[in-house]
Amino acid sequence: MKKPIEIASVLLFSAALALPGTALSQTDPGVRPGAINGQAGATQSDPLPLPSVGSNSPTGVLEFFDNGLGRFQEQEVVSGGANNGLGPRFNFNSCSGCHAQPAVGGSGSANNPQFQVISQGIASGSTNTLPSFITAHGPTREARFPFFTNANGTPNTNAPNGGVEDLFTVSGRSDAGACNLQQPNFQQAQQNNNIIFRIPTPTFGSGLIENIDDSTLLANQAAQAGNNLGIGGAFNRNGNDGTIARFGWKAQNKSLLLFAGEAYNVEMGITNELFGQERPLPEEEQHAGLPASCLNLSGHGYPEDATNFTVASNSDQAAQNAQVPADIVLFAEFMRLLAPPVQSTSTPGGAQSISNGFALFKEIGCSTCHTPAIRSTQPSNITASLGNSTARAFSDFEIHHMGTKLADNVSQGGAGGDQFRSAPLWGLGQRIFFLHDGRTTNLLVAIEDHSSNGSEATQVEENFDSLSSGQRQDILNFLRSL
Amino acid sequence: MHVISQLARLSPVLASCMLLSAMVHGAPAGGPIPAGVILVKGAWPSATGSPLPLPEDGSIANNAYDSAYFGLAYPISRDWTQRYEGPPPSDSGYYVLAQIEPSNPSGTSRGRVLIAAQDMFFTLAPASNALELVNYYKDHLGDGYRVEGSPTTLSIANHDFVRLDYLSSAAGLHWHVLATEIRCHVVQFVFTGHSAEAMERLIQNINAVTLPDETRYPVCVKNYATAENLIERDDPVFTELRFNPVPVRIVIDREGKVKHVHFLSAFPEQARSISDALSRWRFKPYQSNGEPVEVETGLMFGRLPRPNISTPH
Repeated sequence: MKKPIEIASVLLFSAALALPGTALSQTDPGVRPGAINGQAGATQSDPLPLPSVGSNSPTGVLEFFDNGLGRFQEQEVVSGGANNGLGPRFNFNSCSGCHAQPAVGGSGSANNPQFQVISQGIASGSTNTLPSFITAHGPTREARFPFFTNANGTPNTNAPNGGVEDLFTVSGRSDAGACNLQQPNFQQAQQNNNIIFRIPTPTFGSGLIENIDDSTLLANQAAQAGNNLGIGGAFNRNGNDGTIARFGWKAQNKSLLLFAGEAYNVEMGITNELFGQERPLPEEEQHAGLPASCLNLSGHGYPEDATNFTVASNSDQAAQNAQVPADIVLFAEFMRLLAPPVQSTSTPGGAQSISNGFALFKEIGCSTCHTPAIRSTQPSNITASLGNSTARAFSDFEIHHMGTKLADNVSQGGAGGDQFRSAPLWGLGQRIFFLHDGRTTNLLVAIEDHSSNGSEATQVEENFDSLSSGQRQDILNFLRSL
Repeated sequence: MHVISQLARLSPVLASCMLLSAMVHGAPAGGPIPAGVILVKGAWPSATGSPLPLPEDGSIANNAYDSAYFGLAYPISRDWTQRYEGPPPSDSGYYVLAQIEPSNPSGTSRGRVLIAAQDMFFTLAPASNALELVNYYKDHLGDGYRVEGSPTTLSIANHDFVRLDYLSSAAGLHWHVLATEIRCHVVQFVFTGHSAEAMERLIQNINAVTLPDETRYPVCVKNYATAENLIERDDPVFTELRFNPVPVRIVIDREGKVKHVHFLSAFPEQARSISDALSRWRFKPYQSNGEPVEVETGLMFGRLPRPNISTPH
């Protein structure tokens, strides 16, 4: 319980700083103290599963959750260890390092583990330098270059890039052989304003999101058509079958399995049964690709993460079964079976303020995109809690034009450079960094950045501005209660 | 006729509009990326063919919002302004035309005006006119809103309008919607503010609005591009598999040729393929009083935005 209180005190200080425009006397209460995810019994390393999973229904599902939780926290190495395949490029060496706040499966924590990557020997300091945008208490980040560069290093705005530029290489590690790679030129990209950032999305309750039928989302979209707020919205559709994608900052990923497989490959450099080849940087891919000396570093061939066809016999059948799937399958199961955060009814600000804030949140138009509840999920063939349930995610899962303040000039699927998914707000009360790039820890800044040229949210943000200080405080208290 | 040759006939503005949809523009090659610009676009509006005004091309100047497409001039106070431009039109035909407010932030008590338009060819609402659309709005108001004035018809500047008034109780915000039909769009003036008196003064100002003589424009007809009116048709050949709705407005000339194509929302390669195909389409000329006249209609390519499903109230 100590950690959230420390975080809260830091954030209270930062939130109290005066802001232009909206904020004079109201303040972001900061990270909500108390039970993790609002759930009695949850700890940072042991987030709670869905109720039916907790009661092991169907039999064996809890073992899969626990096994997935364990694999989610495994620290990967390049070769010679129990968990091989890291690199040749990576952003971190475990899922839980980045998805950590307020518990495993969440978003970035107050202590950025990437800041320790070199000091802890995860990357060699002889071949890696810490990018300047990675700080001890700043957001956990991935970096992308919106554009490829010309021969002189300047951005070529006729050549969109947008792919992830991994922060570190395995070069120089004792388990990485002769692989010799250089990091991307982050300094040059920063000088040319050709770099954007993304922070980890929390995954609590994501099984409910995955199990919403498209027709439910389409009906919600139609119901919002008369919003009188300047809000349009569209869906990012999966390029293979045309159904609605819903995970990631731009709703670019269709499923949790895809989300897991891509992250394993892109963030940790581990090939798997969805992404079977080592991933060069976008600019490497346009030239010779990765050098042969950086391939098959684990020595076991590809994919580095695969189904375990042979597992040790175990009298506990469920435990034996859970050892068979590949890591990405168990990552997906873990995320799918995580319970959603529980809202506080009284903290911060008291029950009346939270209730007022929720009413205001709806009436000024926030709920048009941050739809409080999607009813209801499809019947579930996995576990009862996923089926016929309400996803109180505070999202319409549409992508919206968010204007010039938030645009990152990265296109993903059908989403353009200024379009983002309405970020689900459940669990917001215990998140530290906000917006896709983690630019702020202050909810007021996050709200203010919703209005700019080209944004669908300008009218709503200005409605927020028009409220009294007390009303705005009620909304902030409500948001931190989530 | 190919798009390239069509482009050559366009005004520089429209030509750049089309080329702009080819992903990037506006940044000097070789320099740092300017801050606060959207260079990488997804589905975006564009146009080809004869250079005609577009719904999204209105502007605020000389103390008025002017839209050549809608033939609309809405005077605004000297000390009011548009702080931020709106987003591009949605793939269901919703436009933010202007967002007007007092230039001094301390003047928020005077309220704000949102001018929006819904293309009735592509609306997600089960409505075919302004009254039905405004009733749909009323029926889908969320908890906490209280209707202060049910949709009623009135006349402003010799045009029929529908007015809806409602209040958001907790926020104390009054909302007044005045909607009228222009060129098969429902153009909406949405007044929002905390002071009922200030709102009423704003609403009275709308009597100074200039609205179009619609006989100047092509007749607009929903679903004109049906088999019974089409003489020749070539389906577009798409080069990429995409699943987004592509709403398109076209103007058909007196000879039945497509003279103007407006993509409300399309990826560049979709716009190219559709323009190329439409240049080969031939329609029966639309007849009015026995004479062929220009007609404006809508087409939806790509994925339909909404199946026939009920919407939650």
